Amino acid sequence: MSKVRVLGPRERLPEALRTLQDLSLLHLAPPTVPPGEPLERAHLATREERERRHLLDVIVDIDAALEQLRVTTTQPLRTASRAAPGDLVRWARLAWRVRREAERLRLQLVVLEEEKALILKYQQFFSAFRSLLEAEARWPNATAYHVLVRGSDAGTIPKLRAALTAAIGDEFEIYTQPLASGEIALLIIVAAPAAARVEGLLAQAQVEEIPVPAAYGGGTLTAAIPAMLARLGEIPGALQGARKRQQDLSHEHSGELARARAAVHDRLAELEALPLSGVTPRAFVLEGWVPTRSRATLEARMRTDFGDAVAVSAVSTEEWASDEAPVVLSNPRLFRPFETLTNVFPLPRYGTIDPTPFVAVFFPAFFGLMVGDVGYGVVLAGLGLLLHRMSKHGTLLRNVSEIIGPCALFSIIAGFLFGEIFGDFGSRQLGLRPMLFDRHEAMMPFLLLAVALGAVHILLGLGLGVASLVRRHPRQALGRGLSGVMIILVILALLAAVKVLPAGFFTPAAIGLLVAFPLLILLEGVVAPIELLSTLGNILSYARIMALGVASVMLAVVANRMAGAIGSVAVGVLFALLFHLVNFAIALFSPTVHALRLHYVEFFGKFYSPGGVRYQPFGRWIPARPRA
Amino acid sequence: MEAVYLALAAAAAIAIPALATAWAQSRIGPAVAAALAEKPELSTTAVLMIAIPETVVILGFVVAAAILFR
Repeated sequence: MSKVRVLGPRERLPEALRTLQDLSLLHLAPPTVPPGEPLERAHLATREERERRHLLDVIVDIDAALEQLRVTTTQPLRTASRAAPGDLVRWARLAWRVRREAERLRLQLVVLEEEKALILKYQQFFSAFRSLLEAEARWPNATAYHVLVRGSDAGTIPKLRAALTAAIGDEFEIYTQPLASGEIALLIIVAAPAAARVEGLLAQAQVEEIPVPAAYGGGTLTAAIPAMLARLGEIPGALQGARKRQQDLSHEHSGELARARAAVHDRLAELEALPLSGVTPRAFVLEGWVPTRSRATLEARMRTDFGDAVAVSAVSTEEWASDEAPVVLSNPRLFRPFETLTNVFPLPRYGTIDPTPFVAVFFPAFFGLMVGDVGYGVVLAGLGLLLHRMSKHGTLLRNVSEIIGPCALFSIIAGFLFGEIFGDFGSRQLGLRPMLFDRHEAMMPFLLLAVALGAVHILLGLGLGVASLVRRHPRQALGRGLSGVMIILVILALLAAVKVLPAGFFTPAAIGLLVAFPLLILLEGVVAPIELLSTLGNILSYARIMALGVASVMLAVVANRMAGAIGSVAVGVLFALLFHLVNFAIALFSPTVHALRLHYVEFFGKFYSPGGVRYQPFGRWIPARPRA
Repeated sequence: MEAVYLALAAAAAIAIPALATAWAQSRIGPAVAAALAEKPELSTTAVLMIAIPETVVILGFVVAAAILFR
């Protein structure tokens, strides 16, 4: 990053800001004000502050309107020009009007759907008792009660009948009809003088009568139902009308509103950038960071637009602390998907090391060693391809699919090294032989391989720690380097002790350790020995690669044995396939989690320095990308 | 008889860490669930938190393998 300073006449500040916004290169920062200089931070005028608050309200209206119309914009809009005078006022009115209209239509649709569902419920009742309900009007001295009972409560009907007989004798009739919904419709017809007692009984039994909606004439259900059925016929048309109006509204205004949203965001960004500039009575100054390779572009554009009126100069590195500089991760195309894995952590500080390239190499390698099966690797590759086809560029799903690719490749390579295609199926049926060793039997060599990989990974982490600390904290860098040397000495001594290396290595390694130990305490304090032990523990933690790898192959072997262990071959093969499926699911999850853990806990702990500020150039608004 | 003792030792080497891991995960699980309810963006960290105690059982497995295949 380069820090630059832009100087020019005060009256041209808004124009300079607009040019910088079009360029989208400068990450603005408040200017440093040398003591005694007449430079002060610019403030928004009352009118501008009012405009800013108004635009915040407009954005709320536009977002709500677009959400109601279900318009999602993910691509930046290529607006040729900025908002013309009067546009913002027009857009504010439009957003307000469309929002309210869209909300009204949404509400209308909800009400219509609810009304339709209600009428359909009554329609079931009406269909069940059509003839009786029609006759209901002819009983002047009777009162009818319409009740719905849940199917599971059918036992209450005989009890109700018995209670009514006990209370009013035979002055009632009960008709029941099961409905398609599983409920039971009850029509109770009672002689008018006994109605009050029946109502009391129904209330006591907590049986609720179906209310007759007032909107359809009230009174009896018989009177209301024709109106309800007529309304049911009208509702589809009303729903279609509301949806058509919604579509028209969207068609008519969504483009304009999307343009308005971009322009309003741009204007807001411009207003919010203003206080980041410094002004004197006659001049303005803007400061910020720009990627060093883009500095020439910035200078050329400012020269083209402003000639000599505005000057762009570099601020010397002595004038700014590296911690203030923003960070942008810049990785080759092949490594970029792995930024998804490093983005779980806060950004690294400026000037420290981005771990993405190392994750891109070691993560698939560890994953591959744990899965280590050609068959599973091929299936995984197929899954990755499928995800790649289903996903859009720049989404999380696309990144995941691009991470799956190398993981599948390493799984296939490791599968050939260990001679595995769906466990021991490859060796038994296809005659595949391991190129390195058989994980199924050679556990100790696999353990040594895993721990050796751990040693390499951790030593690399310590080396990166030295590289990132050497400029700012040379003492800490020396301590970390010494830890690395001691780890190597411990490994040499151990290998000499178990006679992997000549015994002559042991004494020099032990002496080296004895000399390095006090130096380490001197450099890093009394906690240094504990940290050294913890680092050795970290190396041993890589034994999980062996453990998960062996567990994976064992499960695959068990799956294959199922095919022959069950009487029927077809059933055995089916069980074997199911077991392989389960093993594959485990092989997706566990190696991912543990390979991540080895990076996040063991590896990053040796050098990663979080706390960087994200590089956010002052520019045109870009809609947020969907996550998946 | 020695084979029986070796088998028992290997079983203990994996069973005791497995119980310890289960206990640790039973404490971490609810805490992680509570944290996720408030901050869903911590899901990756949460999975790692759950995976951390598994180191114990993995080392137990390695020791058991070392006992059986020495």
